[in-house]
Amino acid sequence: MIRVAAALVALALASPADALVLRDMLGREITLPGPPERIVSLVPSVTETAFALGGEARLVGVSDFCDWPPAARAKPHVGGMINPSLETIVALKPDLVVGTDEGNREETFLQLRRLGVPVYVVHARRVAEMYELIARVGELTGRQEAVAPLRAGIERRIDAVRASVRARPTPRVLYVLWPDPLLVPGRESHLTELIELAGGRSITAAEPVSYVRFSIEAAVARAPEVIVLADHSSGASTAGRAAPEKWQALTSVPAIRAGRLYSVDLSILHRYGPRVPEGLEILARMIHPEAFR
Amino acid sequence: MSDARRLAAALAALALVLIAIGLSALFVGSAGLSPAAVARALTGRAEPASVEAIVTLGLRLPRVAVAILAGAALAVAGVGFQALTRNPLAEPSVLGVSSGAAFGVVLAQIMGFETGVVAALGVAVFAFAGALLAAAIVYLVSTVPGGLAVQTLLLAGVIVGIFFSAAITVIISVVDFNRLSGVIHWLLGNLSPIPVTSLVLFAALAAGGVWLILRHARELNLLALGEESARQLGVDAERLKRRVFLASALLTGTVVAFTGPIGFVGLIVPHVLRALVGQDNRLLVPTSAVAGATFLLAADTLARNVVAPAELSVGVITAFCGAPFFVWVLRARSRPA
Amino acid sequence: MSPIVEFDDVAFAYARPADRRARAFAFPGLSFTIERGEVFGVIGPNSAGKTSLLRLLTRVLSPRRGAIRLGGRPIDALRSWELAREVAVVPQEAPRPFPFTVEQLVLMGRYPHAPRRFFEDAADAAAARDAMIATETLALATLPLERLSGGERQRALLARALAQEPRLLVLDEPTAHLDLRYQAETAALLRRLNRERGMTILLVSHDLNLASELCDRLLLLRAGEIARIGLPGEVLEQGLLEDVFGCRVTVDKSASGRPVVQLAYDRG
Repeated sequence: MIRVAAALVALALASPADALVLRDMLGREITLPGPPERIVSLVPSVTETAFALGGEARLVGVSDFCDWPPAARAKPHVGGMINPSLETIVALKPDLVVGTDEGNREETFLQLRRLGVPVYVVHARRVAEMYELIARVGELTGRQEAVAPLRAGIERRIDAVRASVRARPTPRVLYVLWPDPLLVPGRESHLTELIELAGGRSITAAEPVSYVRFSIEAAVARAPEVIVLADHSSGASTAGRAAPEKWQALTSVPAIRAGRLYSVDLSILHRYGPRVPEGLEILARMIHPEAFR
Repeated sequence: MSDARRLAAALAALALVLIAIGLSALFVGSAGLSPAAVARALTGRAEPASVEAIVTLGLRLPRVAVAILAGAALAVAGVGFQALTRNPLAEPSVLGVSSGAAFGVVLAQIMGFETGVVAALGVAVFAFAGALLAAAIVYLVSTVPGGLAVQTLLLAGVIVGIFFSAAITVIISVVDFNRLSGVIHWLLGNLSPIPVTSLVLFAALAAGGVWLILRHARELNLLALGEESARQLGVDAERLKRRVFLASALLTGTVVAFTGPIGFVGLIVPHVLRALVGQDNRLLVPTSAVAGATFLLAADTLARNVVAPAELSVGVITAFCGAPFFVWVLRARSRPA
Repeated sequence: MSPIVEFDDVAFAYARPADRRARAFAFPGLSFTIERGEVFGVIGPNSAGKTSLLRLLTRVLSPRRGAIRLGGRPIDALRSWELAREVAVVPQEAPRPFPFTVEQLVLMGRYPHAPRRFFEDAADAAAARDAMIATETLALATLPLERLSGGERQRALLARALAQEPRLLVLDEPTAHLDLRYQAETAALLRRLNRERGMTILLVSHDLNLASELCDRLLLLRAGEIARIGLPGEVLEQGLLEDVFGCRVTVDKSASGRPVVQLAYDRG
């Protein structure tokens, strides 16, 4: 391990002109001998962004959860986000591994660094940070010229949504990430921002953390006018099914009385990548159906 | 055959098995290296930056070392607790000692111990303290005038284990939701390659604990006579119990500090070894150490290869083996002789 | 020759026990001796202090006042394993659970002779073998203790005590859990050990007739004090026994000339 690091340092020192010094989204410095050619992505949104920018050629490995676009599934898999196989990663001979602080473990990054594999950590919890992420992925994959058009496209769609819902009253929205125990997004969650952009107001927006175990009573007391249930089930599995029937009994809640209980496929909304406008449009349609007729 | 010679023969046989499994562990893995490549790396003929060198020497070899140390430590801790309580079902996870140690580790992490040898020592200290606390509670709860009430012991162990697990969950859910899945993963018990300095620390602590129990192995046998009889033979029963107790907690805490709580090794291994070498702790302790190393190594090799490239936690494999085993032993013992 | 055991004005009292069932108990000041080579019996009602006396001798308990001497030396001055080389105790019953074999049990008795040694050596093996021969348990050596009959277990426990090569053999209620037949066996064995090896034996028993047959002298305890000490014929006297035990008895002579105590049952 020391020898590997020494080799890298020697390499870096030997050709200072070609050395690339990057700073990841947590502010950590990474020194590479040149632009990364073999990237392993442990982050689904990074994978999606790389494909959207046309830079997938440089991706040599992805996590098991990187399932969009369908072409991503054809890339070699290295395991889960919590527990990727270090051996498989190393065997792919990457010159950079991209991870996130929301979903991967610091322990994994430490192990990789110890083995001489540089790690680039991204962090995106706001739309603004998402644009930053797109720009960074563009830089890493050498597709800087594709960044601006992609960003423009996303911005256009987001602006369109905002225009449609502007000047409309903002209903109280309850977003149910997980029904039992009740998990809802707080101030630090990107979902809160998305709800806002979609013209709603999350009733749990004031909670100071990113996700909080909330009491159903409190949720009922805040009388949401729209309830969105996240559906984690995929295909045949019914685990994580939204189960709206459990909510129908809460007839004091305006959302139930008005029949405004929706379920949404989770995976689009929960990645801060190029599909965010899609998720936003779906959300906005639920919150302001009249604006999209 | 004299006892010493039997011990040597048993150790030699077990060591051969351990070496065989250890070597195979080095040759299998999700990186898909050819045996020639691995051999090159092991004999030092591979490029330092080559895949085979990094994978074999940087990943597999340290992980094999951790498995050996953890397996040996857990097995001997099991023997220690079983001798103290005179019950073959006693072992670190059953007695809640692993959970106590895990609680200590979680506390240490919350307080900011991160990486490096000094931090690792700090985490080990917290784990040891947690293990001691759990073991002490279980012991005190089950001690009635006249000795240890065995039925109470197992029950107390379960309760203490649940309590500390709950305490861990509370701490984590309060601290940071994003880290929750990482912590849950850690709580299953995983082996991962650790740096050489930490490995040396781990080895030193494990060796210390095993040594402490081994040198009292003969007196542990005498404890089976009952405390009063043992005392009448000249055994300082109180000091013996204290030392073995501490040593077993130390071993448990050390392992949990480096791998998270892994259960059932201390249950399965000594039990199987008793069928092979008998009840004498002087034979059981060293052979359990070697057999425990082998067992955990085999379990971990399975864990990292059976659904490659995804990995199972080794604690899952030991639990799958251990739970049915526990039930079988329990039933066998409660059947009238 | 100095007596092998000397109790010199030994006083002891249990602190008020937390366990209500144990009665508060005291020896105000006990003095007696046990001579080399004799079979000495301690008898008396429950809670008279028989077991406590034994525990004082083996240093499980410590006296408040007075001294206990073994072969002239105060037992306080001895290390615990030195004491174990002199005094060996055969408990009432085998510990449970006990997963070891008879041979392993007997070898445990060798611990006091070399506590630091890890494995027993040839001398230990020889002593163990000798003890098993004396108790006729050699054939049972490789059997687990738990599989033996009550009588066999008792002999194995005795073998373990003999392996300690003690000067004094102490038996705590040796026939308490045994069938009649094993009681006779045990008595014969003890007699043989005393006659053939000159083993000094201290016997604590509630079985008055066993004590009468086996013992050279008896000590009758009542509430921590010596009610009488002497030959069986002197101690097992009707009036005294009725007084100490609080019930009606008759005392006859057995075929061997020893007193036989019989409980007079109320037919009314």
